[in-house]
Amino acid sequence: MPSSSQPTGERRPRVLVIDHAWRGLGPGLEPLSGPGGAPLTRTVKLIVLPLIARPALRPELAADFLAPAEAALLTGLIQESAALLTATAQWFTLLKKARRTLGVVAGNPQDLYFQRCFELATEHGTPRAGADMIARALVEEVAHAPGGRTVDALKDHLADAARRSRLDAELADAWASRPPPADAAAATAALARAAELLDACGVPGPAHTSPSYSGMIEAGNGELFGRALWAHASGVWGRDGLPTHLGLTGRQTPPRPEVGRGASTATLPAPLDRTLFERLFTVLQSSAHREELAPVAELVARETGRSCAPLGLYDESLRVAVVLGGRLAAGLDPLGTGEGTPGRTAAHRAVNSRWRREASVLRARRLTVSPHPDPDGGVLDALAQDLRTPWAAYMRRLWVRLHGRDVRDAPLEDLASAWAVLDGVARSVMMDHRARVRSALRTLSADHAPAAEPRSA
Amino acid sequence: MAPGHVDVHVARGPDGTIRIAAGPGPRPIEVHDGVVHVGPDFTRAVLDVAGAVLTWPVLDAPGLPWAEVHDVGRAQQWVWALYGERVAAAVHDSAAGRGGVRVTAEATALAGAAARLGLGHWAARWWPASYQDGIPVLEPSLLGLELAALTHRCQQLFDDEGDQPDDCAAELIEEHLAALDPLIQWWRATAGSVDMARRLETVLRLIDDAADNAGLDGPALRHLRSSLEGRGPAAASADPGALFARRGGYALAAGEPLVTGGRVIARGSGINDWRRYPPGLVDAAESAVSWTARALGARRRIEVEALADPAAPATGTPLVAEVHVNGGAPHRVSLARRDDLWTGHSDLSPDPQAGVSAPRIEVGVLLPGFDPGPGAPGDADVRAGRDAVRALVRRRLAVARRPPAYDTPPHDNCSAPFLAETAATATDEDY
Repeated sequence: MPSSSQPTGERRPRVLVIDHAWRGLGPGLEPLSGPGGAPLTRTVKLIVLPLIARPALRPELAADFLAPAEAALLTGLIQESAALLTATAQWFTLLKKARRTLGVVAGNPQDLYFQRCFELATEHGTPRAGADMIARALVEEVAHAPGGRTVDALKDHLADAARRSRLDAELADAWASRPPPADAAAATAALARAAELLDACGVPGPAHTSPSYSGMIEAGNGELFGRALWAHASGVWGRDGLPTHLGLTGRQTPPRPEVGRGASTATLPAPLDRTLFERLFTVLQSSAHREELAPVAELVARETGRSCAPLGLYDESLRVAVVLGGRLAAGLDPLGTGEGTPGRTAAHRAVNSRWRREASVLRARRLTVSPHPDPDGGVLDALAQDLRTPWAAYMRRLWVRLHGRDVRDAPLEDLASAWAVLDGVARSVMMDHRARVRSALRTLSADHAPAAEPRSA
Repeated sequence: MAPGHVDVHVARGPDGTIRIAAGPGPRPIEVHDGVVHVGPDFTRAVLDVAGAVLTWPVLDAPGLPWAEVHDVGRAQQWVWALYGERVAAAVHDSAAGRGGVRVTAEATALAGAAARLGLGHWAARWWPASYQDGIPVLEPSLLGLELAALTHRCQQLFDDEGDQPDDCAAELIEEHLAALDPLIQWWRATAGSVDMARRLETVLRLIDDAADNAGLDGPALRHLRSSLEGRGPAAASADPGALFARRGGYALAAGEPLVTGGRVIARGSGINDWRRYPPGLVDAAESAVSWTARALGARRRIEVEALADPAAPATGTPLVAEVHVNGGAPHRVSLARRDDLWTGHSDLSPDPQAGVSAPRIEVGVLLPGFDPGPGAPGDADVRAGRDAVRALVRRRLAVARRPPAYDTPPHDNCSAPFLAETAATATDEDY
């Protein structure tokens, strides 16, 4: 075995360079620092990297390890920003104070205000007379950033009877003028191409670019798969017990979307069975990126057509991501049974090994569910059952995420970004499972007061 | 943890995972399913951090964790701070495909704090509270608040990708908010003991800072803020035993014994496998589960008793005993709470041998739906593991009974008692 005794070479971790420069700046940065004096994780991610290092302008600072010249450059940039950072810290303290005064509790203050504080520091320097007013105004502005893009606004918009009947007619028209259903062969062909792409995902190495990803988009493989769902095509997975739609609809084929007038997170139907209201409700519920949304009237107008499009999505790259996700979901094996699933790819190996790691952590944390069905198992048995049909939870989450991108006009440009979404959804499904087990056990070991449901995204 | 240097081995596995292996420790360590195994599940402390899972064998001397790094880019934010710069460079090289290397790590303050956080999460799930063994319960909300403080202390280990369930300082504070006022009272009443007061203040300041960072607000947190700023009424005397007194208490088996008549054929102890039910239900003593087989005419009946954890809920938990007679198929007996016991009985199916000789009976308790199954056949070390865990917590409680005195800040030191341990030793004189 080679021995590595070199003094770490000349290159040093970028985060270490930032840490050392940060600690050299002296006092006044506590609001942006952790208990040990290191910058907070979010300080690095939201301020130091994007606003001071700016690797977009200085690609030499984009690496995880920096050579001495780059390290010196970064150190210098941070030192030059000392006054700006101290002012940023003071503004942050002021904003948190204003937030408490105004009784605002939603959202993480670092996420909401860090970059705004840096802007304030750039514009005004340290807070002076009148800064309190600026801080209050900013907290209010951020709190009301949705600008009417709220569930209540949606409810009001859809309460109008004339509007509802017009939307209903539009939905009927759009549904009637869909392209014809496709056959199972089209879906099978799309899935075969998806398997090839998934074999290039999840493997270590430089970010992958694949010409066949754009090939799938150009060939309309996502649209074809969506149209195959309209035909109740069967047998595409080559095994029993796995519906073609993987739980995207609770019926044989997706129904024509209705307008709808209410929704609740606990009782949302399968994605393609959702009403217009329910589809937009999930978009408006998630607080992230709300300011990027179109006004409610426009959201509704566009959702009418989208809900009748294949897979309920407009953008073909997002539909292709559904095909990739479906092919991945069909081979998920959270319980490590290794039972007959369609051919596993590199992506499956990556996600399934993550599941095994999670299962082991859950055993070490005493958060297990019985691997075999247990009629006495109650809610825990239901959670185990979800692990036996993991594709349903996976596709549900994936669809919501892709739909959110579609609404924001955010296609997936390349295979690497598509894989980041597919992998992220797999992690979310695991997190969900753990949170549910935790909550179920808390309820079981509490006499009264059932535990609050975990927040769901 | 004493500052020092220790060799670790860094290598890339076939699936691209990078393993940072501390040790070799004194006990055999296997890796399967991409996770380090060091014996039964209840002997591993684990922590989900950005891009990796950290594992410590709790029975070994405190030290550096094993890391299974599945996202090198994210992990690089903390590898240097936890293991030192050489290890960060070795991880970087391994990710680029270079072979395994042995490098010298530094035992950092962050490593000490992370080990303590991992051990605290372990204690929250596996602490073997037992009336019979004299191991007191740890007050969950006191431990929860200290874990919130430690999580914030270890903020460098976490990022905002949202896939690290242990990045939960805000959730822990909200969940255990009710314990905040008693904790403040304890701090104010501890002026006489400088070390103890400093320990309490450190935890309170970290909680205040974590809450402020996460944007939490409310009366309890405002009270904390003003207390730390030195406002508020003078300290009344308060001892942690009274402040964190547990509901209920330890009165053993006050009810009548379960007498159902008949002739006793056999009696014995069952197996108390902690892995088969969640914490807080059954007394962790080795002999907590017992059974009696009776003959009532031609019928054969089995009665099972399990000592209840003092905090166990009185109703609504469908705990069962699993009974094997003469190696046959498992038979379930529902258990119900009766005072400090879980009890249940059931007729055994007629057994041709039952009249001939005493039946061979094995009994375990489990929670249906939770039970991962009886241990694998190679689990012979499980009982030894339980004994070792009891020995570990007895050593820790002995330390907690002594007045605190530390060379290193307690928050970076795994061996220093948790506040919940200190409070538990103040309480346990009472029963």
